Parts: sequence; C-alpha cells; structure tokens
Amino acid sequence: MSQKVLICDDAVFMRTMLGDILQQAGFEIVGEAETGAQAVERYQELHPDLVTMDIVMPDMGGIDAVREITRKDPAARVLMCSAMGQQALVVEAIQAGAKDFVVKPFQPSRVLEAVQRVLG
Amino acid sequence: MSSRYADLYLTESRDHLNAANAALLELERSPNATGPLEALFRAVHTVKGMSGVMGFGPVGELSHQMESVLAAIRDGATRLDADTLAVLFDATDALERAIAASVTGSDATPWTNEVLARLRGLVGACAPASSAAGLPRQSLPESMAAEALDVDVCLLADTSLPGARALLVLQRARSLGDIVAVAPPETAFLEPGFAGTFSFRLTTEARDADVERSVRAAGHVDRVALRRRSSPREVATPEASARGVDAWDAGHAHAPLERFVRIDLRRLDAMMNLAGELVIARSRLAQLASPYRDAELQDTMDQASRLIGDLQASILSTRMVPVWQVFDRFPRMVRDAARDAGREVVFEIVGREIELDRSLLEQIGDPIVHLLRNAVGHGLESPEERVAAGKPPAGRLILSAVRESSAVVIRVVDDGRGVDRAAVLMRAKAMNLVDADRETLSDDELLRHIARPGFSTAREVSALSGRGVGIDAVITRVRALGGALELRTRSGEGTTVSLRLPVTLAVIPALLALVGPETYALPLTHIRETIKLREDVCSTVRGRRVLLLRDEVLTLRALREVVGLPARDEAGGQVVVLEGAERRTGLIVDQILGQQEIVVKPFDPVRGASACFSGATILADGRPALIVEVSSLI
Repeated sequence: MSQKVLICDDAVFMRTMLGDILQQAGFEIVGEAETGAQAVERYQELHPDLVTMDIVMPDMGGIDAVREITRKDPAARVLMCSAMGQQALVVEAIQAGAKDFVVKPFQPSRVLEAVQRVLG
Repeated sequence: MSSRYADLYLTESRDHLNAANAALLELERSPNATGPLEALFRAVHTVKGMSGVMGFGPVGELSHQMESVLAAIRDGATRLDADTLAVLFDATDALERAIAASVTGSDATPWTNEVLARLRGLVGACAPASSAAGLPRQSLPESMAAEALDVDVCLLADTSLPGARALLVLQRARSLGDIVAVAPPETAFLEPGFAGTFSFRLTTEARDADVERSVRAAGHVDRVALRRRSSPREVATPEASARGVDAWDAGHAHAPLERFVRIDLRRLDAMMNLAGELVIARSRLAQLASPYRDAELQDTMDQASRLIGDLQASILSTRMVPVWQVFDRFPRMVRDAARDAGREVVFEIVGREIELDRSLLEQIGDPIVHLLRNAVGHGLESPEERVAAGKPPAGRLILSAVRESSAVVIRVVDDGRGVDRAAVLMRAKAMNLVDADRETLSDDELLRHIARPGFSTAREVSALSGRGVGIDAVITRVRALGGALELRTRSGEGTTVSLRLPVTLAVIPALLALVGPETYALPLTHIRETIKLREDVCSTVRGRRVLLLRDEVLTLRALREVVGLPARDEAGGQVVVLEGAERRTGLIVDQILGQQEIVVKPFDPVRGASACFSGATILADGRPALIVEVSSLI
C-alpha cells in the first residue's frame, strides 16, 4: 500500500508541484491544507505517513503547526519546505519537531531524497 | 575575554600550533630527526609560558604534559612510534581547542582531560616507578562508562541552509547518546560564514559504524571522521556536560587570521575609497595646473602626486596578507585526508609568502580545501595502482601561489590519474550537451561539463572522471570573487586546477566601453575576447540574435538595450565576448575605449534601476561610470 501524504502550503502552485513530484514517486496525496490551523486539523483526521509543511502560511504558520502536530503525535513525520534565506525559521521548525527540510525552488530528486530520509 | 592580550595570545598560539603540526608531520616522515623534535618542544614550551601568563590552567597543564613526553622521547625513555605520534597529534588538536575555549572564557577541560591521561600513560609506560601514583584510574567498571567519541562532520559544499542541516545531524546523533560539546557552538550555525564544517563530542555506547550511519542519515553529509576517546569518565560528568556545551574552534580554513590590531574591514574600505577619489582628483588637478607652466606649482603638484600614489599603495597593502596564514593549515588536513582515503601523498606548498587581499583570502580557503580533498580522494591513485602504472607509490600534490601581473594564481597540481575524458564525453553525449559525432573534448569543454550542476554529482561520472562532486560550487565561489578557474589534465599523468584571482577586490581591471554618450565598465575577469561586429558573424536563430564565433553559437545582446537607451544603427560597433561558468554571451557596445584599473565604489541601487549594475567608479576625467554586473547578462 502506498504511503499517505498531507501537503500544506498556501500556494496552489506549490501544492500542485509537490503533489505531482510525490505522486509520480508512488505516494498517495490524501489531503491538502492552506493554513497551519487546517494542517493540524487534517493531520488528526487523516493520520498521514508524511506531512510537507510550508513555513509561511496564514492563520497559524508552519512552525506552530509542526509544534502542535508533534505535541499530539510525537512520531509525526514532518518535512519543512523553505525558501532560501529562511535558515533561522527552519532551525526553529526543527526544534519544534520537523524531521527534515527542502529548499525552494524544488528539485524533484532533492524532495524525494528528503522524503526518504524522513520516512527511512 | 576581549583584551588585546587575548588577541595577541590567540594569534601567536596559532602560529606555534601550526609550527607544532609541521614538526609532527616532519617527525612522522623521519622519526629519528632531532630538528623537528626540538621545534615541537619549543612550540609547546612557548604556548605553555604564554598560557601561564594568561592564567589558562588547562592549557598550561596540557602543554606541560606534552613537554614531559617530548623530554622523555629526547632522553630515549619513551619510544617515538606510531602510537606515540598519534597521541601527540591528538594532543596538539586538543591544545588548539583548549586555547580557543580558554580565550572565549569557557571551560577547556573537556578537551584536555582525556588526552592528558594518554600523555601520562606514555611517560608512565617506560617509567614504572611513577606510574602507580601517576595514574589514578577511575574505579568505574568499563561497562558503566559511556564512550566519548569526537565526530568531525563536513557537509557537501552545495548544501542549502548548512546551519539547519548541521542541526539535523546533531539531532540524529542525540538519538544515540549525549552531546557534551559542539564546535563551533550551535549559535554560530546560523551565521553567514558557517559553511558546514563542525565537530561535536558524543558520549554513546553505539558502535562507530552506527554513529556514522546515523550522522549520514541527516543528509548532505560529505565527510565524517570519528575519533574514539578512551577515557570518557571526565567528560561524561554532568558538570562537564553543562559547561562543555560550548565552543572549541574547529580550526581548519575557518579560523580567524592573524590580527595584531583589529580594524574593521569597512574602515579600510572607506579609506580605500577616499584614496581612490584622491587619485582621480589628482589627475584632474594635474590637467588644470598644466597650462600655468609655473615651476613652483608643478613641483608641488608632483610631490602631492607621489604622496597620493604612496598613500593609495599603503592603504591597499594594509588589506594584504600572506597566503600562509591560510595555507599552513593544509599539510595536516592533507595528511588526514590521505589517511582516510588510503593514499600516500607528498604534499608541498610553494609561494606561501605571496600576498592576497585579506577578505579574498578568507573566502578562498574553502574552495582550496575542496580541491585538495578532491585531488587526494579522486585524483591520486592508491599506492598499488600507482606502482602498477609505473609511478612511485606516493602521489605528489603541490599547492602553489604565484603572482602573475595583476592576478594571483593558485594552483593545485597532482600527478594522479587525470580526468577520464572518454567518460565525461560519453556522459555529455548522453545529456545532449555535445554532438554525437564528437570524438574528444578540450580541457575547457571538460571543465564546462564537469562544472554543470547535476553533471558531476552523478556518482558514476565523478568516480570515472576522477573529480568529486562540488567543482561547480568551487567555480561559483571563485567567480563571485572575480576570479576564474582553469583545468588542465592528462590521462595517467595528473591534473592541474588553477584559480586566477584578482589581488584585491577594491581595485579591479576593467574594460571601458562607450554606449551612446555613456561609459560603462566591464570587469575583465568575465571577458574572454572582443571582436568587430560584422554582418557575417551575426545570425538569427528562432527569432533570437546570435553570434557565430568559430564553431560556437552565442546569444547576442546589446548593452544599449540592457541599459535602456533607444536602439540605433549598430554598424561599426564591437562585441565583447563574456564568459560565465558554463556559457558565453556576446555583448554589443558602440566602442571600446580601453582597459583600466578602476576603484570599485559601493553602489546603492536606486528604485527602478536595472539590476545589471554591481557598482560604480569614477573615471580619470571625473565622470562616473557604472560597473556592469556581467554575470547577470550571461
């Protein structure tokens, strides 16, 4: 059975792109979220194997969402998606419980490597 | 501690530690030589004396114990074998870290305790009378003491957000045990200068292989080196852990340079700027004064002229430092890299007194480390392969610096297997980068392909081509510094990589070109050649203008368009051929005025201004000229 992924990003473009990369690699996209609050909600509904999380989102950012998700499920596997120059935020996200990160613009191979590390 | 004594102490200690490492390397080659032993003795002794004055107890104790061992070796009481050397190498490392820790005011004992015990063991082993009293052994059973392991990690050169990645490495390691010290401290991971080289001390019961696997699982890890500490009890105590999560200087290419007087580089930049303007004012003044034919005025002008020239030269020289300040750390690094890779290497540094602009030198350390590691790991063959190829078992590696007119050329030369041209050609064909009927590649083409991101990272190619990953990162850095990289390689005979760098970043050679009424400066480092614009060299491919240059087709752009001037007839214009890391572009200008050294002045981009300018300069006639950011056009 393929592994389930929840994609959290406020930009449709990024969600589509990530979704395509992951789907082509055999993952099942079980849900999407546009805000941090939605991400927390969907996580509890869907229990995905992996969450990809944008850092900057309206209504609770990605970092708070990671904190909330890992508080409820310490085994949660969250992969942060960051832009260049957001190192301090990525560090904060890791301290909040994120397992790895990828940097935009996304290269499919980099994304999949990071996903393997998080799931491996 | 921020007194100027601390700075002096740090600077001098580094020199002595470099000398100590050099002496140890010498001893490793010829264990019976007395010269290096004495040099080592002197270095350690001086450090001991200075540390005493500074009140740095742990450093003093460590250097004292090293001295005792060296005295025992000199007196023939202790044998200088491989084990002894290994302890002395480790002790020198520990000394460096303990010094760095002491200067920052943190506890140095986590770095000294364990190696102190080993040093005492060396003296004790041959002096049974003192050993019973000298070695109060911890009464803990072995199984209860977690093992302390020093882990050095180097991330891949092209790692994004290396600080965050390093943090992931630490998190992975924490799942195996406790981290009792990190260097540079975790807070430094976020600093812009952090390039992904760091170390930490882990107390763990996990096996080395598991630790390494775990560290690598964090991703983007280039190298991991593990050094097992045999006497862990001292560093594993809670007090030590609490205080120990501090800094020791990971050293290598990142260490601050010698600094007797600390001057903010920005102040020197400001002075450099003023001197530059003064030079310009001088030429205008000379022009204005010449019609008067007044001997006294002329004399005064000449004198002022000379003084201004001297002033500029001496300000420029304050920015210059000899390359040995960075190079002297490399012999040790090469030795360690050679050991890791199972290579024998004779390493030589030539031209260590050559001077470079300090900000440049600081930034060129990492790329050189990269090239040296590549040469040791991929360029040089194993001793067996070398012998089979009819070469001496030890490979030769030379790092040289030479001044060539307005540039400094740094070369990394190895006599290894050379880049596998056929493998690169095959890969380039597979990627449709060259025509399928090409039979060979020139050195320049070779470099251009290897440097293509995603080309050299293909594992099978880097293994075959004999160049590791990351040459693209090296090129990017060198280009950013206004330099250029060149590759020369011969199959079976070796490879030479040359970095051509400007001597300083403050004054650069540039080509001045006229477009309409305006003069623009194009940095020479990115210019390959200039040619006349003739109809037979221009063409149109898919609606885009191109330049036909020998067997190449280059994109053609007009500077006139780039800077937003109205188009006009280009007949009689000239083309400047610009060269980037992978591509060339032709740039049309109205007229080329000539070549000139220009003083680069900081440039505050105006709202709405084109992003294609990197700065400005003032020409001899007092008019300003914009410096074109050439890499943005390629």
